[in-house]
Amino acid sequence: MKFYICIKMVPDVYAPIQIKEGELIMDADRMVLNAYDASAVEEALVLKEKHGGEVEVVCIGPAKASETIRKALAMGADKATHILATGDEEYDSASYAKILSAFFKDKEYDVIGLGKQSQDTDSGLTGSMVAEHLSLPYTTNAVGLEVENGNLVVKRQGDTGQEMIELPTPCAVTCSNDMNDPRIPNLKGIMASKRKPIDQIEISSLGLEEASLQAATKVTSYEEKPARQAGKKYDGEADEVARQVAQLLDTEANVL
Amino acid sequence: MSTILTHIAITDGKIKRSSLEVLSHCKSLADSSGASCEAVVVDANASSFVEGIQKYGASKVHVVEDPIFKNHMNTPLLKALSKVMSAVNPSVFAFASTEGTKDILGALAANQNAAVIADVSSFDLIDGGVTAKRPVMAAKIMNNTEAKSDKVLVSVRSGSYDLNEASVTAEVNTVDFSMDDSDMKATLREIISASGDTIDLNEAEAIVAAGRGVKDEDGKALISELASILNAGIGASRALTESGVYDPSLQIGQTGKVVSPQLYIAVGISGAIQHVAGMANSKVIVAINKDPDAPIFEVADYGIVGDLYKILPPFIEEIKKIKG
Repeated sequence: MKFYICIKMVPDVYAPIQIKEGELIMDADRMVLNAYDASAVEEALVLKEKHGGEVEVVCIGPAKASETIRKALAMGADKATHILATGDEEYDSASYAKILSAFFKDKEYDVIGLGKQSQDTDSGLTGSMVAEHLSLPYTTNAVGLEVENGNLVVKRQGDTGQEMIELPTPCAVTCSNDMNDPRIPNLKGIMASKRKPIDQIEISSLGLEEASLQAATKVTSYEEKPARQAGKKYDGEADEVARQVAQLLDTEANVL
Repeated sequence: MSTILTHIAITDGKIKRSSLEVLSHCKSLADSSGASCEAVVVDANASSFVEGIQKYGASKVHVVEDPIFKNHMNTPLLKALSKVMSAVNPSVFAFASTEGTKDILGALAANQNAAVIADVSSFDLIDGGVTAKRPVMAAKIMNNTEAKSDKVLVSVRSGSYDLNEASVTAEVNTVDFSMDDSDMKATLREIISASGDTIDLNEAEAIVAAGRGVKDEDGKALISELASILNAGIGASRALTESGVYDPSLQIGQTGKVVSPQLYIAVGISGAIQHVAGMANSKVIVAINKDPDAPIFEVADYGIVGDLYKILPPFIEEIKKIKG
């Protein structure tokens, strides 16, 4: 099976964030492989180990994204394409989807995998947009993947429970980070990654008009989450506080 | 006159409350901007829901009814929504941010060449489009996003808006729909529902959520007992669904379910940001945790510091007494 996994370099959501006059201030050095994409890479590697095949990754990003790409190669991906973008273009999900779709137009593959959302925007749109542009059968929010008779069988988390969906190939799937624990590259993998090819290409080589990539949506400012006011803390003898709060829920909060 | 269209999601044969929240907001936007407020429902029994939908102000309801919609599948749903969107040409098409919506929203935007803002906490009309507030960076902060386009799709987090009854008699538009077998490439093999009896967390008026502090069967039994006397749904933190103590469909959090019940009782939950992002819209939050510094106490209206195994039995007993 040939897997192409789309990966994104994102800010580390665990790094300290500051907002000053609506602008986001973060440590530009703390960038990581999007956790949801890492799960997609991991599952592709597991399936490759089980059934044979190839795992390639593609990443749209600035020069610094090569570090993220190396991480995926160190995990075990075979090769990579780095689509160069400065980062100043202010692309949105739709822009990324158009670029990825143009990239995939002349490629051969069985499965295009993506994380279901990226940790910086949490939009969760790019995957299904790519599937639509490429007219691929797809599903989203995968918590398990299997290969059966050349088809991809996906366990998906839906509104009513877990759905088992069988997709013929070629197909696309977006992955939940509930699916697995991505492997941490070992020394052998890191050394091997340095010898694996990263093909660097310009967006212009994909035959896209820059105008068509202009984002229709734009972030105008950032702000702190409205703080929920803390209420009261009740500390004391268990039996007493338990009954006290139960009574308050009735008389004060009116929720019983 | 422009149209603001709201998608009404149906799950387990019932209108999803969060869709009606969105419709209520869209109705008020339509009223203040002079637009038409319409709704679309796609289901095996779609026409049976018109009465429930018109109660919230949709003056026209587009009904797509076909047995293929008995279970959620993205291909036919996308086809139905594309057809309706092309015909209605709404300036805004709003959805509740359910898993069903997430499965098709991007594809629909691409299909219709519409701008899209997903998973918002609020949105309003602006000149030429929509502005929205949404949580980002694993829900640590918010941003304001603008979409300038003559067609904007928006999906809204549950609990963002209140229900507002505004009864009208809706005009019903029955939409012709059919799928060729050849259009269906994917196969839905089966659905493993979390037991049919469990209360839908998105609709529940009360939720009891279990966290790491709930260590064993005795703990689970206490959770179940509390949920039972409150007629509450049972949810869990990521730690407990990952370890298999509770089914993944019960996970509450930024990557699980986002809920907004009247009463949320967090039992043995520390209150990590990702979890809080999934329940911060609850009306009343009660937290039980033996660590007085647990971050959950920063959002709890009533914080009980103590061992849940010692707190829950008298708590349950007292509630039983109060409820008679």
